[in-house]
Order: sequence, then C-alpha cells, then structure tokens
Amino acid sequence: MIFTDKKILERLDRMLDDGINGTFEESDYDETQLSKLESKWLRYLTSSKLSAQKIEQEREKIQELVSDISHQTKTPLANILLYTQLLQEQPLDEQSLQLVNEIRQQSEKLEFLIQSLVKTSRLETGTFQLSPSQNEIDSMIGSAISQITPKAESKQIQIIYTPVSCTARFDSKWTQEAVFNILDNAVKYSPAQSDITVTVKEFELFACISVEDNGIGISEDELPRIFGRFYRGQNVIEQSGVGIGLYLSRQIIEEQGGYVTAESKVGSGSIFKIFLPR
Amino acid sequence: MIVLKTEALTKIYGEGDNKVTALDNANLCVEQGEFVAIVGTSGSGKSTLLHLLGGLDRPASGKVFVENKDIFSLKDEALTIFRRRKIGFVFQSFNLVPTLNVYENIVFPIQLDGNSVDEDFVNEVISSLGLDNMQNRLPNQLSGGQQQRVAIARALAAKPAIVLADEPTGNLDSKTSQDVLSLLKVTGQKFSQTIVMITHNEAIAQMADRIIRIEDGRVCTRGQTPSEYIGSDSQRRIPSVLSGQLSERIIKGGDGND
Repeated sequence: MIFTDKKILERLDRMLDDGINGTFEESDYDETQLSKLESKWLRYLTSSKLSAQKIEQEREKIQELVSDISHQTKTPLANILLYTQLLQEQPLDEQSLQLVNEIRQQSEKLEFLIQSLVKTSRLETGTFQLSPSQNEIDSMIGSAISQITPKAESKQIQIIYTPVSCTARFDSKWTQEAVFNILDNAVKYSPAQSDITVTVKEFELFACISVEDNGIGISEDELPRIFGRFYRGQNVIEQSGVGIGLYLSRQIIEEQGGYVTAESKVGSGSIFKIFLPR
Repeated sequence: MIVLKTEALTKIYGEGDNKVTALDNANLCVEQGEFVAIVGTSGSGKSTLLHLLGGLDRPASGKVFVENKDIFSLKDEALTIFRRRKIGFVFQSFNLVPTLNVYENIVFPIQLDGNSVDEDFVNEVISSLGLDNMQNRLPNQLSGGQQQRVAIARALAAKPAIVLADEPTGNLDSKTSQDVLSLLKVTGQKFSQTIVMITHNEAIAQMADRIIRIEDGRVCTRGQTPSEYIGSDSQRRIPSVLSGQLSERIIKGGDGND
C-alpha cells in the first residue's frame, strides 16, 4: 500500500512538473481516479492557458488603441498649431493675444505628450526595438548635453561635465533620450544661475551616469512615485510638464538591463543615477 | 498584491529591569515585485525585524503574513519548511557550501526540498548574474563579490516569495558592493522578485524602490505601498481638475497643470 502511495505521488509530481513545463499529456483513459484526475488537470491547464492568452490579447488591443489615438491625433494637432500661429500674426487686442498664446502653449504641451505616449506605447509593444551595443558613454552624454544647453542657458544654468573615457552596452539614440529627459528635469526644477553636475563612474560590471542638481528636491515620500506615468510632484504644479519624461527614461534604461535611482533632499537638490551594464 | 505584511509586531528581550523592547508595534507592507530597503543604525531593531520576517525567531506579540499565511501560527517544524520554500536568504557572510561548486550551491536548496531543478530558469538566473563561466568553480576560487553573486543566484533559483538580504555587501569593498547591488536590483527587476534588504548604509538603501526607516524599534516612515500611493495621488488630482478654477487660470496666464 505504501509502495503504491509513493508511486501515485511520484506520478502526480510528474504531472505537475509537466504542467509547469507546458508538456503535459494524458497518459491513459480508464476508470481509475488517476485518469479522471489527469483529465481534470488538462482541463485546468487549458483554461488557464486560454485566459493568459486572452489577457495578452486584451493588452495588445489596449496598446493598439493607444497607438491609434496617438497617431490619429497627430494631424489635427499639427493643424491647430499652424492655425494658432496664423492667428498670432493677425492684429489682435491684448487679451486675445494672451488667449492665443495660451492656446499655443497648451497645444505644444499636448503635442509633446502625444509624442511621448507614442514612444512609450511603441516601446511597450516592441515596435521600437532597442539595440544595445558596446558604445562610448562620452559621446552620448555630449549629445544629450548639447541638446539641453539652449534651455539651460535661458535660465543661466551651467552644466558641468568632465569627459571620461568609458564604455557600456546601450542603444545610443534611446539612451541619449533617457539622459536628456533627466537633464531636462534637472534644468526645469533648478533655480536660475545654478549648476548641474554630470559625472560618469566606472565599475566592473556597470557604468554609472549621475546627474546632480541644486534644485527644489523631492521628499522621501514622493521619491518612489516620480518614475510613475503622469506623476507630477506636489511642489511643481506651477512648472509646465506632463510627467512622462522620467517614466520613459526608466523604461528605456530598464529595457537595456540597467536601472535608474533617485536620491534627494528637499531644498538642496536631487541626484539621479543611470546604471548601464558593461 | 501584498506579499509581506506585519501587524503590530513586537519583540522583547530580557525581563524586569533588563527588559529591552527591540521592536515596538511595527507595521509594514511589501508588494509583489518591490525592492524595499529597511534602514536603521545598529541597535535600531532592524536585525530583529529581519529575523522575524524570515521566521528565524518568534515575536512577543503581533503577526507576520507571507503570501497571506500567518507564519507564526505554524509549528517549528512546519515553519522551517515554510522558510525553506518561501524565503530566500542572502547574508553578509555568503554562507556557501565550500565543498560544492557554484552550480551545485545554487541548486542545493531546490534539491534539499526534493524538487526537480527548472534548468532553463536556473540558467537564466546564472547568466543574469554573470556567472556562466564560473559554474564549476569552488567558492574558495571566487572573489567576495563573485561569492555573493552566487548567494543571490541561490536565493533566486528557488523562486521564493521573498528574498531577504541582510547587509548583503557588508563584507565587500565599495566598488564591488555597487556591482553586486546593481546585479541584485537588475535581476530582481527582471524576474519581478520581491526583495527586502536590511542595511545601515544610507547610500546602499538609495538603490531600493522604497525605504522603510527604523529607529529605536519603531518603524518611522509610513508603510505605504505603491498602489496606495497611486490611490492617494488620484484622489488628490480629481478635485483640482473638477474645481472651477480652470477658466480663472487661463485668464491669469497660468498653464493649468495638474
């Protein structure tokens, strides 16, 4: 009796293992309890597989929808922007000018938001494939810095960066965008005439790019939330932005086997660190 | 989904005049896939907390739930087995078996439980931690950082509900520490493994998604989980959008954010 118990348990263990590995098949059809159990097990496996597929399909549908919305709104939005510019050139009284200005700002913001949404949804669906390869970090950071310089200069913010020769595995174009978003954030939340320091540190398995600002800082309660989609800090309501930059940055970096961290002290600034595998 | 939860967890050592409340009414929550750091100075009660979370010690009062199971309702023997199946430990001193090679060390807890090894998964873990070329080496042929990477692989290989890491880089130099922590973070991310790390080091704690502070046996930061954040956040947003200030803002020239 003990022997058969052991045999049955071994059989059940195999059934479960096969189920986990997706290779389960019914062995025999007879009137035994075990045979009934096998049929039940297969039924369960099939239904959970089906529901997983269904969830996957639903997910794809949602992503398609996002992608469609983003794509279809592009043209009308471009037209709104165009007409707004034309309207701005008309002779208008002061209040109308102010209103047109508002329309333009909001439309630009919407355009940025939609572009970012297109990017995130395409990253999520895998339409955009990141192709990481061994690259010099220096030139990528250089491009990101020159991209942010005009905005930094308008606030008289100086970006301090000492080039370091160091390579890592990353996709240049996308990683540059991730670094740019973090720099953009730093510029946005730093006071005029302050400094932003960019440093690169080399480790055996990872390389770290850190962006340190003297901005308003983020409270510890808020820190875990800042990488969330559409999250905007409590103290930054008066700043323009949509809260998608950091989310996108984190997605880009994680997609490549790296990660992003943030440390901060309210009132004295924040340090964002991007770790890239080497 | 909440993986780990404590309710009014209290631990008292000694009696009478020597009575020390090492942990005082601690409540915290950890969600599936989160990387949480518990930070405190030595003597703050963080090791006591870790021992209780891992079922290595029993509390004076209060409860610990792992995957909704009240672990202290289990008898000692059952608790030992529960711990082996549900919790992966990473210690400061790597605790590898010196006579087993890297691969054998990694699959050891799985075999101890009499389970067959999920080869594909284990190999993925091994290569995520950069251990492909070292599988046949013995622990004494590895550097400290490499040994700790093996210990992390061992903790992950059994697919536990939680990985508890107690000062995982306490015995490593700072450069190696950074690499080991990076790998812990990245592999945790990749396999959505819940990780709870205990440390006295602020800089190390910054690696985590969320920090829980402990001082004099009390949990200081609110034990909020990300989903609670999102909840409170959306509650904060809706009223300001609905409030009739929108038109006012436009005229004032504000940008109508939030």
